[in-house]
Amino acid sequence: MHRSAHDTFRRSRRRAARFALALLTALALGMSAHAQSTLTVAQTVDIPGFDPHDHGSTAVEAVLTNVFDYLLFRDANGDIQPALATGYEQVDDLTWRFTLREGVTWHDGEPFTAADVEFSLERVAKDDTLFEHDSFRQIVDVEVVNDHEVLLHTEGPDPVLLSRISRKGAAIVPKHVIDAIGWDGFSVAPIGTGPYRFVEWLRDDRVVFEAFEGHWRGAPTFERLVFRAVPEDATRVGELVTGNVDIAVNIPSQDVERIQGSTEAGVVSQPTTRIMMLLLNTADGKATADPRVREAIELAIDKELLIDVVAGGFGVPVGARVSPGVAAAPMKYYRQNAYDPERARELLAEAGYGPGELTVALQGPDGRYPGDADTLAVVQTMLQEIDVNATLETLEWSAYNGRIWGADNVENVALIGLANSLFDGWFALRTLPCDGTYAKRTNWCNPTFDQLLADAEFNLDLEERAAQIEEAFDIVVNERPMIALFQIDALVGVANDITWQPRPDEMIWAFDIQPN
Amino acid sequence: MTSYLARRIVQMVPVLFGVVTIIFVLLRVSGDPVQLYLPEDASVEQVEELRRALGLDRPLPVQYALFLADLARGDFGESLRYRNQNVLTIVLERLPATLELASAALLVAVLISLPLGIVAALNRNRLPDAVASAVAMLGRAMPNFWLGIMLILAFAVHLRWLPVSGRDGFANLVLPALTLGTSIAALLMRLMRSGMLEVMNQDYVRTAKAKGLRWRRVVVKHGLRNALIGYVTVLGLEIAGLLAGAVVTEQVFAWPGIGRLAIQAINSRDMAIVQAVVILAALVVMTANLLVDLAYALIDPRIRYG
Repeated sequence: MHRSAHDTFRRSRRRAARFALALLTALALGMSAHAQSTLTVAQTVDIPGFDPHDHGSTAVEAVLTNVFDYLLFRDANGDIQPALATGYEQVDDLTWRFTLREGVTWHDGEPFTAADVEFSLERVAKDDTLFEHDSFRQIVDVEVVNDHEVLLHTEGPDPVLLSRISRKGAAIVPKHVIDAIGWDGFSVAPIGTGPYRFVEWLRDDRVVFEAFEGHWRGAPTFERLVFRAVPEDATRVGELVTGNVDIAVNIPSQDVERIQGSTEAGVVSQPTTRIMMLLLNTADGKATADPRVREAIELAIDKELLIDVVAGGFGVPVGARVSPGVAAAPMKYYRQNAYDPERARELLAEAGYGPGELTVALQGPDGRYPGDADTLAVVQTMLQEIDVNATLETLEWSAYNGRIWGADNVENVALIGLANSLFDGWFALRTLPCDGTYAKRTNWCNPTFDQLLADAEFNLDLEERAAQIEEAFDIVVNERPMIALFQIDALVGVANDITWQPRPDEMIWAFDIQPN
Repeated sequence: MTSYLARRIVQMVPVLFGVVTIIFVLLRVSGDPVQLYLPEDASVEQVEELRRALGLDRPLPVQYALFLADLARGDFGESLRYRNQNVLTIVLERLPATLELASAALLVAVLISLPLGIVAALNRNRLPDAVASAVAMLGRAMPNFWLGIMLILAFAVHLRWLPVSGRDGFANLVLPALTLGTSIAALLMRLMRSGMLEVMNQDYVRTAKAKGLRWRRVVVKHGLRNALIGYVTVLGLEIAGLLAGAVVTEQVFAWPGIGRLAIQAINSRDMAIVQAVVILAALVVMTANLLVDLAYALIDPRIRYG
């Protein structure tokens, strides 16, 4: 059959057009399907392994919390909800009964039982080489009553037990798997009861999970969950604005505008429990020995301005180490700025220092917390405004920790950022007693304070406990072995096509994340 | 040749020993790792417990002796961060990524410096020479870190031609290799250029020119061989620079290699990992230099090893 050149040309053009259309459709479908079913999160570090009792890092737990469950679980509002335990009851001062959820399976199909709870919690409570041990040493023993009931025995009355077992370090792991392959094997190939099941781990690059259909809450929305490690800020922001990742943590405040202006993502701020604080050396002979000088230092600092300059306004000024959601923390100190330079000058005069006669040494880390070196520089300027000479020494974190902070070698004022993973007010004060961790740094010792803390530690009457803790806070605020500056907001980049509010405990709980 | 090779390999041992000792002492003297692994408000008991668990409460000579004994058995110690994992495995797992990046960067460097050097020499003191020299100087002056981020902004974020970071296929290798390669291309280009210029003043070249032969071809053929000795020497030396540059490049591009591992380990005083990385790096540098020396015999027939 004879075909004209023209016909052939037209036919091949049509064929090409059909092919192109098919290709585009496939690409479009592929891309939209991809966007729906995979959630990618960019963090700053990779996980060191899947041992949930031995890493000590919030950023690592943010990943592991998708694979493992705890007995109880904090929801996005910070309220404690049932998880692997459906009910609990305090039997007596030293004993708690937990009823375990039925019908829960591990990722390998085996049933979850009380033996797993005993195995997991006794391990972290008894093995003192584990990072998380210190928060669980109060648990003496886990007694298996039957497959779905356990009794937790504590050393002394523990008002914080429920907080303890609903946070990092308390993940429940499968006894049968670890008995078979050991922690070495489990560290790189975990089995949990969580909504996501482990697929693969490319070291320092990414961890990949897939949805676990048999999860007791139901299957999660996203079929795949990927955590990538992108240490450099600019690169992480780049991944966010190109739509390659859906969530990017630790966004520098100066990139907020750029991200908000992009079509792909926005930035959400969420208060964390981390508070930037100054620790003061009250030892005789030091510039900061006089309580009036310490008060003057606090009054010289305009905490609102500090937050604006150092954190782009993303933070809240505080008068003590308190933040929302922390039990027994007196919130009267939240959102408090005592700035009063006139009074500060008066106090200095009362203490016998004329203008320019007092020299205070400021020491702090550089690069450990967002804006840390800047914070100290601003404090230095503010002190100079009230005619106090302030010297500045900022060191890289390991040097600062080794030579100043950890070496109990604080000259006058040292900067630090402290979080509160137990969400408990007592926890925020536990370093300050006469024999506490900070005793040799602050050289501060107040027996009344010590007594209040000791009374509150094992006090199961939560109202009375809160009152004791508030009184203890009042003492710290008045005597100033530490000055609280501000609560840090976490800035998280979130893609515009998902809905998610970052949690105060900084966990990235993918189950709650929904596409728009 | 074999005896030369054997001698060189044996010489590596005392060097390694020296490196190992220096790094051991520096790490332990420079700061306490225990505090770095615990939260800022860890209790005194916690710190002591961890110190004991890691064996850091023992006197330094004892630690050193135990360290050497372990090393002799191939045990690099235990990582503070990667518990329950073999340190050598941790380091070797990440080696392929760095080797891939370094090889690609080397290729980029050669591909840039060789032609640029030749062009510059053949057109000495004219425009192509000036341009090539300027490009080379630019490459040397630009910090790795800055160049990497600029390339990401331009090609990944604005143009969306290439991925931003990570290691996931050939496209991911392009920007990091460019970043790392340009840093050493400059010096190499200058070497190629000057090596060739030496040749250009030789009598046989002038004769060829006078006779109307294709003197450029002659220059390139002989000039290349002449320049290669210097070129290859510096290439070998620059491999150490590549490893160092890889540290920054890997950080910027989230490339999962040894450089990133090293930075993390150094910042947290993860001694076992730092030791392993340094020993490995020393081995790589020594091997590279050995290979360079052996390559001389190939390039210049006058060089023979006994």
